Amino acid sequence: MSVAPLLEVDRVTMRFGGLVANEDVSFAVQPGQVFAVIGPNGAGKTTMFNAITGVYQPSSGEVRFQGKVVRKSFAARLLLRVGGTAIAAAISCMLAVNAVALWKAVIVANYVYGEPFLWGKAIGCIGPALSQVGALWTWGSASVGALLGGGGAFVLWLRTRRTPDVVAAAGIARTFQNIRLFGELSVLENVLVGMHGRLRTSYFTNLLRLPAYWREHADSDARAMELLRFVGLDARAHDAARNLPYGLQRRLEIARALASRPRLLLLDEPAAGMNPTETVALMELIRRIRDTGVTVLLIEHHMRVVMGVSDRICVLNFGKRIAEGTPEQIRNDPACIEAYLGKEELG
Amino acid sequence: MLLLAAAVVLGIIDGPLKLGLVDPMRGVLIFALLGLGLNIVTGFTGLLHLGMAAFMAIGAYAFAISTCDIYPFQLGFWPALGVTAVAGALAGFLLGAPTLGLRGDYLAIVTLGFGEIAQDVLKNLDAITKGTQGINPLPPPSLPLFGEFGSSPAPWYWLFLAITVLAVFACRNLERSRTGRAWLAVREDELAASCMGIAPIPVKMYAFATGAALAAIAGGMWASLYASTGEPGNYDFQISILALCIVIVGGMGSINGVLVGALAMIGVANIALPKLASWLQQKGVVNASNVLGSPNNWKYLVFGLVLVVMMRVRPDGLLPARLERRKAGGSA
Repeated sequence: MSVAPLLEVDRVTMRFGGLVANEDVSFAVQPGQVFAVIGPNGAGKTTMFNAITGVYQPSSGEVRFQGKVVRKSFAARLLLRVGGTAIAAAISCMLAVNAVALWKAVIVANYVYGEPFLWGKAIGCIGPALSQVGALWTWGSASVGALLGGGGAFVLWLRTRRTPDVVAAAGIARTFQNIRLFGELSVLENVLVGMHGRLRTSYFTNLLRLPAYWREHADSDARAMELLRFVGLDARAHDAARNLPYGLQRRLEIARALASRPRLLLLDEPAAGMNPTETVALMELIRRIRDTGVTVLLIEHHMRVVMGVSDRICVLNFGKRIAEGTPEQIRNDPACIEAYLGKEELG
Repeated sequence: MLLLAAAVVLGIIDGPLKLGLVDPMRGVLIFALLGLGLNIVTGFTGLLHLGMAAFMAIGAYAFAISTCDIYPFQLGFWPALGVTAVAGALAGFLLGAPTLGLRGDYLAIVTLGFGEIAQDVLKNLDAITKGTQGINPLPPPSLPLFGEFGSSPAPWYWLFLAITVLAVFACRNLERSRTGRAWLAVREDELAASCMGIAPIPVKMYAFATGAALAAIAGGMWASLYASTGEPGNYDFQISILALCIVIVGGMGSINGVLVGALAMIGVANIALPKLASWLQQKGVVNASNVLGSPNNWKYLVFGLVLVVMMRVRPDGLLPARLERRKAGGSA
């Protein structure tokens, strides 16, 4: 194939203590495909999803999206943030340790009750006051502050390099096997939360409702309603999400995931608990999503769904990949029939 | 809106009718602001915070240092209140930065500890804060628009009402925006929220700082009203718990609920109980030397009973957030 894969899972192993949930799993998803991952319960499918979305870090191996591992890059912003925090922490640490001495020298010494306060003269006293407490003390406290602040900022950055929000911002959205909607929020608000990364208004814009807020507000509401129409939920936009019936909650999760305009959509057992009619409607929805140019990676047990919509299927069993191919190939693969399809078909 | 109208009507009729309600209502408004601050942290973002009193103390001292004439700054009321809010927000950031990675109970313990530390720092930093004396006297605000700030409680009432209305608008604007939705999403399901591209720690940090700023403003109002910060020990755990009770009784995450909660809790303590006690004394049921003669002695008994009954009958509070949201159409 000449097209570069959108998502490459490259020899990923997920180990939890002694338990190996995924071992050396590799597959590649081409753009525009519907790619299904199937396997018996406990085969490590959801663990694989969590490794892709940054909920877990792979014990070994790599997940590449558009040719790169998704993580925050070393950039000027990092230096700025670590440096800024270090300087701020140094100054506040120095002020904190010398607070009383500085206060006495700068404020108390220069203020005579009832007379105007001379700011210029007072600020000029900061330097001498600091040199009086001793260079070692002053610079010592400052460097401890800088170390704590800068180090803390750097460690925080390291630990949040590949968290789910970073992966989501790169263009991977997901749904959950056990539905995780924001129950108390309305259907519309759930979609708006999904849009979070696409919206730009800042804290103060929102606090003061500046014009930018109103522009974005109208725009985002319209887009959210459009998405709800797409999944057929527009009539219930103002209901609380927890009051929706099960099948519609699944659709809302998909709408919420699509709200971030992802390039890749991960669906974790979207047909679980659906009746046959809902299942057919879901298959049609998945096809429509693919037709809008979003690549779909699907975990599913429902063979009708998998065989009906997938372009390519990867089969996992006991954490290992045992087969990959088109639905036709999988249906005739002896290993798959033994591990999965055979049992399912007979049962 | 209904609450605002009721408050305005009360302010107008109180003087002529000699109800004497405006006086204790000032305290209710101060605690309403503290409750609004805690509501952002606990009600919207779902972080249990047991140290709101610390931010109130920081606010009171920041306000006092900015206005009192033993210090050189001597700002007017509004600029000083601005300094107070900024000081509170900074303190919120400082506390939040290293601790917001903690979850649930652990964060609650940290905030509890912070509340105690803040009191001790203010007590022992006596070169700046005058230790247990507190900073006083603070000059009364000179705001001609609200009238003469002398012995009459009315100007204070109007001023505090104006601040509360501003704070309510600020909370409402934030709640129904990208910022507030992120808070609610983190409360409902942190993992799902982060998979939607919301970075939880900065989001919580903003909630913490906003809540701290509102609590600091409450502290500033308190200091201004009593013309003194009082001693640091005033801002103790009881205040933090009182704030939590206000939010729980009113309804977690419901702005109107907090206002009603403040009225219910502080109103009972400052209005209903003294009236009841003096009535009992008049009737000769108890005399002044009796334990039950002073309402303060059974204030906490009533609070405890109210909480138990509330949890049993209306666990979502007097004005549950869910109803409030439905009325507002769920979005907008």
